[in-house]
Amino acid sequence: MKWFKTSIIKTWVVACAAGISLTAGAAMAQDKELRIGYQPNPIQDASIAMMEKWGAKNGVKITKIPNSYGVYVEKMTASLTSNSDQYDVIWHNDDWGQLWAHLLEPTDDIESLKYADKWGMAGIIFNNAQGQNTVVPMGQTFGVFYYRTDLVSESELPRTLDDLVKISKKLQAEGKVKFGYVGGMAMNHTWFTWFWSMWSNNCDVLLPVFERANAKLAANNWKSALEEPCMRQAAEFWWDAINTHKISPRGMPAYDRNEANAVFMAGDAAFTVGDSVYWATFNDPAKSKVAGKVNITFFPLGPNRNEPMAWNDIWGWAIPKSVPAERKALAKRMLSDMMLDEEGQRELWKRTGAPPPNKELWDKIAKDDVFMQQLKKFNLDVTNKVRSAYYFEKWPGVHKAFSDAVIKAVTGSREDIPKALAAGASLVTNAAK
Amino acid sequence: MKVLGQSRRRFGEQERFMLLLITPAALLMALFQVLPIAIGANASFRDWALNNPKKTWVGLSHYIDVITDPAFLQVVLPNTFLFMAVSVAGALAIGLCLALVLNRGFRGQKLVQTMLLLPLMVAPVIAAIMMRWMFNDQFGIVNVVLEAIGIEGQPWMAQRWSAFGVILLTDIWLWTPWFMLLLLAGLQSLPKEPFEAAAIDGTTSWRVFRYLTLPMLRPVIVVCVVIRSIDAFRTFDIVWTLTGGGPARSTELFSLYAYVHAFLNLDFGKGSAAAIVGAVIILVVGLLLYRLMDRVMKV
Repeated sequence: MKWFKTSIIKTWVVACAAGISLTAGAAMAQDKELRIGYQPNPIQDASIAMMEKWGAKNGVKITKIPNSYGVYVEKMTASLTSNSDQYDVIWHNDDWGQLWAHLLEPTDDIESLKYADKWGMAGIIFNNAQGQNTVVPMGQTFGVFYYRTDLVSESELPRTLDDLVKISKKLQAEGKVKFGYVGGMAMNHTWFTWFWSMWSNNCDVLLPVFERANAKLAANNWKSALEEPCMRQAAEFWWDAINTHKISPRGMPAYDRNEANAVFMAGDAAFTVGDSVYWATFNDPAKSKVAGKVNITFFPLGPNRNEPMAWNDIWGWAIPKSVPAERKALAKRMLSDMMLDEEGQRELWKRTGAPPPNKELWDKIAKDDVFMQQLKKFNLDVTNKVRSAYYFEKWPGVHKAFSDAVIKAVTGSREDIPKALAAGASLVTNAAK
Repeated sequence: MKVLGQSRRRFGEQERFMLLLITPAALLMALFQVLPIAIGANASFRDWALNNPKKTWVGLSHYIDVITDPAFLQVVLPNTFLFMAVSVAGALAIGLCLALVLNRGFRGQKLVQTMLLLPLMVAPVIAAIMMRWMFNDQFGIVNVVLEAIGIEGQPWMAQRWSAFGVILLTDIWLWTPWFMLLLLAGLQSLPKEPFEAAAIDGTTSWRVFRYLTLPMLRPVIVVCVVIRSIDAFRTFDIVWTLTGGGPARSTELFSLYAYVHAFLNLDFGKGSAAAIVGAVIILVVGLLLYRLMDRVMKV
């Protein structure tokens, strides 16, 4: 028995010693390690590949910590507010710019940020209350209007929403395609139907239209644009597209982007709006029946607008405030060097179709890349671009209230559209306050 | 020393040993159940945004917001109780039928029983993704079959009641084997004599079921219904995956309501208040069901 007790004590002593030495070892190695919190996605994978290349060259271990997209914001928010030392660099997005600004390390001192696109880095999105920037871009993401080149020639492209209906109906009548347009419509896929059609009609979620300065929105009492005639036109357009003209599937109000993309890639729709990074997927013969028959163009315009519309955001990296100073410096050095890594950024472009973070490379890539030329023409070089989100803490709730209202409008009867929008207007305003 | 002596007098050696055994489990429960509930309850009285927890005291304002929210009263609660009633009743009815069939014994009965248990082994989220694609209006097998027999395919997930129906179907499919298994165990434990006497008297199958099987199985049924009803009240995963509460909140259940406030809108205070309101509701419903169970058992 005595032997048994002694051996248990010995085992515990050895285990504790091993534990302490492991902890100490890990602590010593921490100076040469950077832990990356991210969501597995082509852009982030390509960007992390650049980090790994940098790490190998500089003797820094890059540890990848993947997180599910479905819980990314809540999980990362909990990590940031608890000051945990779990991540040194995290994926950051324009939608959460103002949620996390006070929890992130300012990055103004990263010199190579001067090469970043100014539009995507605007202070209104990522600056903290002291006016300091908190992000380093990893790539540009935005929606584009895709069309089938085997069905529609360049001269026949829809310039207006009315054209979109007419051309779709013609293609359907000729038996060339099942649907004219398909796009994600359910909450959190609003950009692929509601937002683009609304912005193309000079409409928006809140008033004044296209205003993003929070002070001005607050001064206007966070008034919703749901009751504006332009929004009614947008809602009626989709209602008619689904129910009257039948150019879009009846199930579309419940579609996420994956379901909409599946319809387009199956060859069942002539037009769609999707992220530019789906260019490679749409053109992959292993996944898509329309590979090699896809191109992009300007968004069709509503009756209230006559100049092209586009939006363009960055996905980026950020450094939590709670990270120790030495690792902050190391992370900044890595992110700065990545902005200068031309080979890595060209690879990111090739793998994803996302314009790289260093804007100076855009023209270089466009010299011999047709798709980059198209992206520049139809998006990056468009003047009067639209900001694709709002930048205040309650935006997620406002977005949800807006989405609920417009989906209720499009799934009810046509006569009830004004009623549904009016009911949603007060909910949007209340969610914003 | 005096206190230690008193404690030793209060607890005998056996009780102290039992306490020692349950201490790890009690500690874990306190850490992972009681403490989070206490933190949530505290948050429900405070301005506690997940991204910027100011934690200032706001009293009952979150509770008032929840219980006066028209969406909570007119959509979320009715949906939750409807879901609870139909899902439990549906799974119970089908589970009972299957248990009665399996109790008869036939060739290949074990194989059929094993196959019927398969849904229990499927994670609810996987089942929900599977159902979502089965009911997809373009690629789903359901519309393919309907169209093959000349019926127009439906946009199942874009309409309130069809989407709600798919949610119910998924939940019933997942939970029927659980009812079946417990009811089959109940059936197999019933005494043989009353059934033999009924057979000698030439009683019909329906009368045997109505006046013998059902009354004798009632305690098992009631326990199953109580446990499953409480569980159904907090269903989240399949609804979130299938519809996300849509279209336009029309299939939102109580658990989604709390989740959206706490984790989508990042309003942890209001989300916690909603969760506690729900906990009080299910406590009352649970007590009523327990009373019902007690009465039935006595009968």
